[in-house]
Amino acid sequence: MIVEFGAFALVLALALSVAQTGLSAAGAWRRSGVLAGAGRGAALGAFAALACAFAALIYAFVGSDFSVANVAANSHTAKPLLYKVAGAWGSHEGSMLLWCLVLTGYGAAVAVFGERLPPRLRAWAVAVQGALGVLFLAYTVFASNPLTRLPDPPVEGRSLNPLLQDWALAVHPPFLYAGYVGFSVVFSFAVAALIEGKVDAAFARWVRPWTLAAWSLLTVGITLGAFWAYYELGWGGWWFWDPVENASFMPWLIGAALLHSAIVLEKRGALPGWTVFLALAAFGFSMLGAFLVRSGVLTSVHAFAVDPTRGVLLLSIMGIAAGFGFLMFAIRAPSLNAGGLFAPVSRESAIVLNNIILSAATATVLLGTLYPLIREAMDGEAVSVGPPFFNLTFTPLLVLALAILPAGPLLAWKRGDARLVMRRLWLALLIAAILGLVAYAVVTPRKALASLGLVLGFWLIGGALAELAERTKAFRAPWAEVRRRAGGLPRGAWGTTIAHAGLGLFVLGACFETAWKVESAQALSVGGRIELGGYVLTLTDVGTLEGPNYLAERGIVRVEKQGGGLVCTAQPERRFFPTGGQTTSEVALCPRGLDDLYVVIGERRAGANGQPAWLVRAYVNPWVRLIFLGPLVMALGGAISLSDRRLRMGVARKAKGAQA
Amino acid sequence: MIGFWIAAAGLSAAVAALVLRGAARGLAPAGDDPVLAVHRRQLSEIDELAERGLLAEGELKAARAEAGRRLLAAADQSAVWPREGLGPRRVVVVAAAVAPLLALGLYMVVGAPGAPDQPFERRVAEWRAGDPAMLDPPRIVAILEHVARSEPNNPELYRNLAIARMAGGDAVGAAEALRKAVRLAPQRADLWTALGEAFVTSEAGQVGADARTAFTQALKRDPKNLSARYHLAKGEIADGKLKAGLSGWRAVLADLAVDDPRRPALAAEIDRTAKAGRLVDAAPQQAAAAGEVTPEMIQGMVEGLAQRLAAAPDDPEGWVRLVRAYAVLGDVARRDAALKDASARFKDQPRVLAALRQAADTPPQNLNAPGANGR
Repeated sequence: MIVEFGAFALVLALALSVAQTGLSAAGAWRRSGVLAGAGRGAALGAFAALACAFAALIYAFVGSDFSVANVAANSHTAKPLLYKVAGAWGSHEGSMLLWCLVLTGYGAAVAVFGERLPPRLRAWAVAVQGALGVLFLAYTVFASNPLTRLPDPPVEGRSLNPLLQDWALAVHPPFLYAGYVGFSVVFSFAVAALIEGKVDAAFARWVRPWTLAAWSLLTVGITLGAFWAYYELGWGGWWFWDPVENASFMPWLIGAALLHSAIVLEKRGALPGWTVFLALAAFGFSMLGAFLVRSGVLTSVHAFAVDPTRGVLLLSIMGIAAGFGFLMFAIRAPSLNAGGLFAPVSRESAIVLNNIILSAATATVLLGTLYPLIREAMDGEAVSVGPPFFNLTFTPLLVLALAILPAGPLLAWKRGDARLVMRRLWLALLIAAILGLVAYAVVTPRKALASLGLVLGFWLIGGALAELAERTKAFRAPWAEVRRRAGGLPRGAWGTTIAHAGLGLFVLGACFETAWKVESAQALSVGGRIELGGYVLTLTDVGTLEGPNYLAERGIVRVEKQGGGLVCTAQPERRFFPTGGQTTSEVALCPRGLDDLYVVIGERRAGANGQPAWLVRAYVNPWVRLIFLGPLVMALGGAISLSDRRLRMGVARKAKGAQA
Repeated sequence: MIGFWIAAAGLSAAVAALVLRGAARGLAPAGDDPVLAVHRRQLSEIDELAERGLLAEGELKAARAEAGRRLLAAADQSAVWPREGLGPRRVVVVAAAVAPLLALGLYMVVGAPGAPDQPFERRVAEWRAGDPAMLDPPRIVAILEHVARSEPNNPELYRNLAIARMAGGDAVGAAEALRKAVRLAPQRADLWTALGEAFVTSEAGQVGADARTAFTQALKRDPKNLSARYHLAKGEIADGKLKAGLSGWRAVLADLAVDDPRRPALAAEIDRTAKAGRLVDAAPQQAAAAGEVTPEMIQGMVEGLAQRLAAAPDDPEGWVRLVRAYAVLGDVARRDAALKDASARFKDQPRVLAALRQAADTPPQNLNAPGANGR
């Protein structure tokens, strides 16, 4: 009864999305508060109904109800409870339902929190959000319904891919989708503003909090995904320029560009066309990602099962939604007011440059991702595009963007003074250069390019701190005044500083880890040793253990510093899941400050003198923790900016009182 | 079913109420034009920043002038929505009623009206209540697993679970159950023997290290144990100790009762092995006729895969399968050649490379062993 109630709730959400679109659009068209209000009510209703449907799916997973086709295909009674719950979004159908839940959730949020938005803009935005809901819900109901029943349920489920039975992966999709789909609101606002023909400072102010929220959540989602790839897949890396990773990275880059261009539009009324274009493109890339992951056109460890029909349907949805958005843009763009003027050296110019580079970077990622498809379609030749392409195209663009970044926030609006900015930044640059030189001199083997990368990372952090010092007059004014100024700084300014410093942390980690990681792989019998990066690893024992739904061999690896002193005992596992007949590696991580010792145990094989041996691979990944810490600090910066009272949805009530 | 209708009606009423409530709130007159409020707020922020000394004098003036201009421009365009008649309210009431009805109609098409929930616990309870003779192995397994959760210390239960799993073709699962059984009752030779046999079945007929340990434990407790002696001897023959193994088998044959149905088969096996000087499959033709996969068939499939990859090489999964297949067949030269080809082709894809390496590490299997199914 509960499963069928969920199935009914799912179609009810679809019907309500239709009502939301119709009522809101009619309300906006006829300037009717009643119709627009009813549209908002329908948006809340659609979210409530979909929450019921999602709860029913989780119920089916928790109870192992194999009469639900999706549960039978993706769960098993022996699976731990957390992964039964996570199974609800571990498959294509379930994750589409999550996508729709987040989509309607954002629609409901606009309905609830948009009280101080202009009524027509809000009504059009709710209508567009509803229309997106109709497209995706119709797809879910008719083409990938997660609550479809089986007339003859199997006795046992077919389990979930054991690689996906992991806490980071269990929580990563909700964050990722909250980010991806968060850009739908930005898209809806953009289309609404284009229909209204008013893309101005007020539009930028309303769109910024949604962009910040979506971008911050996407940052967390991508970071968790990278962390999962790092410790679960067991081959020591964290980013592979895999098509599915790229699919999540492109909306992130566009979102980052949008965050900055919206500031220019808000403060100066400039770049309206460009900002609204980015707002449309961000969700366009989210939809492209959904298509790439689900259509089977690209091969990836992250991709869902291959299904061309679903791919064509998703492509159609993308075509309709993005097509309508860009059509509106083409019609309205010529009449958009160009806004305030600015000099070539100004904060606006710096942000424009940042936008150009981020967009070019997105274009290179897009090209690298789609090129194999294009080639195959044109001459049937199968090619793969890997890290060398991205290192040659994306990395130089990023380096350029990062090099100019610290100057941006220090430049004045309208007309900046480059010499003044350099006077404020010279110390940061000097310190960064010295630290880079020290790294070049001290770290072995010597690597000039990687040392330059470190200079860039220190430059970003130093630049962010220099900007903070400038704003608070640190080291120049008495402590009391510095404190007063720091207390008076808007949270948005703190957010900027923290996010830029987080980017610096990430750059440091990425450069250091990539350049100076060391690895070794040897077949070891019990008692065998590997020497690596100043550590001695001894395989002291290998035992078997039984997990809830797997059998495992667990190696006990004693890690000591060369010359003695126990560092840690790593316990890598090799797990066998009888249900699917799959084997996974469970990496043992031994954190050493910012570094990781990373140990993987392979299959048992016959070693010398008939002794069993295991292939043990070990890595020393220096500063790898910064790779994951940096983006989280960036997301924190986003969250702090979001809490700025100036960005509260609509306009703060207190401000209204103050004006009265 | 009645529960479903009550819940569906309740949810429909709740969402209809949300639509009507939204409409009622939409009736309230709008306050200030929010666009003007944004611009006013921007002006006051500029002042606030200036008061805190965060904005230079020149910047303050320019920023104020610009924000002021935008405020004036917005004020010119400010518009208030008109008062409304009854028409929109009627539309809303109709929409609030039609949406659930539309949903109901759609549900009748795409849903499974009347289909009850079938949580696993409830299904197991139904199977237990029914006629045990009508149950197939998977259902018996489900029931026994369920009982084992409440009686985790009953070795007999695990033995039965192993038998049911074996009947369902799950030798690995059977071994897992027997492992628990011997832990609970390590003194029982029959459990150790069954564990050894489960390992042999799960390892495609080979007497591997785990199986030998189990059979040795069985012999410690029951030195006359026929199955343990038979399998350990078979292991010796597989290791090349033909004489010792055959004498072990002959001793087993001597201990079998005269009318034991296993006698002829074992005698034939001894004869065959003694002649060939190694373990020989009983009758490959029989196996093929019985629908089992023979090494020849596997070779054929692997050749087909290799040809397909030669024609369309951009198939990482295919290459991983091919490398694994050669590794399983023990064809080291071709395995390495395929690994080299594929590694060069996918040199930029670390995940594929890792999967290839893992596939190449797969140990070879003796596909000629009895019961081998080419896994």
